[in-house]
Amino acid sequence: MTARRDKGAGRLTRLALLSAIALTIFMVEAQLPAPIPIPGVKLGLANIVTVYAVVCLGPADGLMILCTRVFLGAVFSGQMMTLLYSAGGGLLSWLVLVPLARIFGRKQLWLCSPAAGLAHNVGQLLVAAGVMRTWAVLAYLPYLTLSGLAAGLFTGLCAQLVVERLGKLGE
Amino acid sequence: MKRSTTVLTAALVLIALAAGGAIGWTRSHGGTAHPVAAITVDGKLVREIDLTEVTGPETFDVPGANGGSNTVQVEPGRIRVSAADCPDHICVDQGFISDGTVPIVCLPHKLMISISGGGEDLDGAAG
Repeated sequence: MTARRDKGAGRLTRLALLSAIALTIFMVEAQLPAPIPIPGVKLGLANIVTVYAVVCLGPADGLMILCTRVFLGAVFSGQMMTLLYSAGGGLLSWLVLVPLARIFGRKQLWLCSPAAGLAHNVGQLLVAAGVMRTWAVLAYLPYLTLSGLAAGLFTGLCAQLVVERLGKLGE
Repeated sequence: MKRSTTVLTAALVLIALAAGGAIGWTRSHGGTAHPVAAITVDGKLVREIDLTEVTGPETFDVPGANGGSNTVQVEPGRIRVSAADCPDHICVDQGFISDGTVPIVCLPHKLMISISGGGEDLDGAAG
């Protein structure tokens, strides 16, 4: 895995551009009605950008884009409560994605991403359990497990296409 | 196929099957003979309603966290959030619940409505 290492203004521009793209996708997706009335079930299309950044720019840059998007997404959507859930899920999925992407490489992103999606929803649910101060929310775990795997598979396939095409473009 | 690929694929498929099985199991075992709904806000019990003693439709407002409010409607044997001023309305979209399969949750207002069997039927799914 060769991560692109820009320095200075080039790197800053790249990070800002990808954060803006991720934020736009996030805001557009937030306008769509929830497909299934279970809290936390969504596609998470903005994570296509996260996966691309982790693989092509490196884990640190990926994390910065993720944090920027999660924070600004909560600010722009006016739901500061979602900051906690997104941050918990985002960080846990990043922790899972980084080693998996290193082991499996670019050709098998579609396989790493469902694991990250699963980790995302588990993290989110743990935060919810902490916020609501009850373990009863774990009743959602089976539903969120399936939705995390499915959403991760979809965003992973998308990210793989992006990496294959943009990878040639950028290097 | 490399061994690591096989292992990860198998693990993910197993997790998916386990989740599917858990959903099927709670669906078939979630029924309760004597449903009692508990409404909690921020982990504190606000109101408890024996759904078998409800005679007709009744609605009331429950103040939630962050200055929000949810309107809860009870009918004989079932309960739902009929209106809410939260941004996503997922709690409203969940509709009526009548057993302990999944609780209704309004994350922005930290409100939760869960149903338990009122003693004789410990419902492991929500426990």
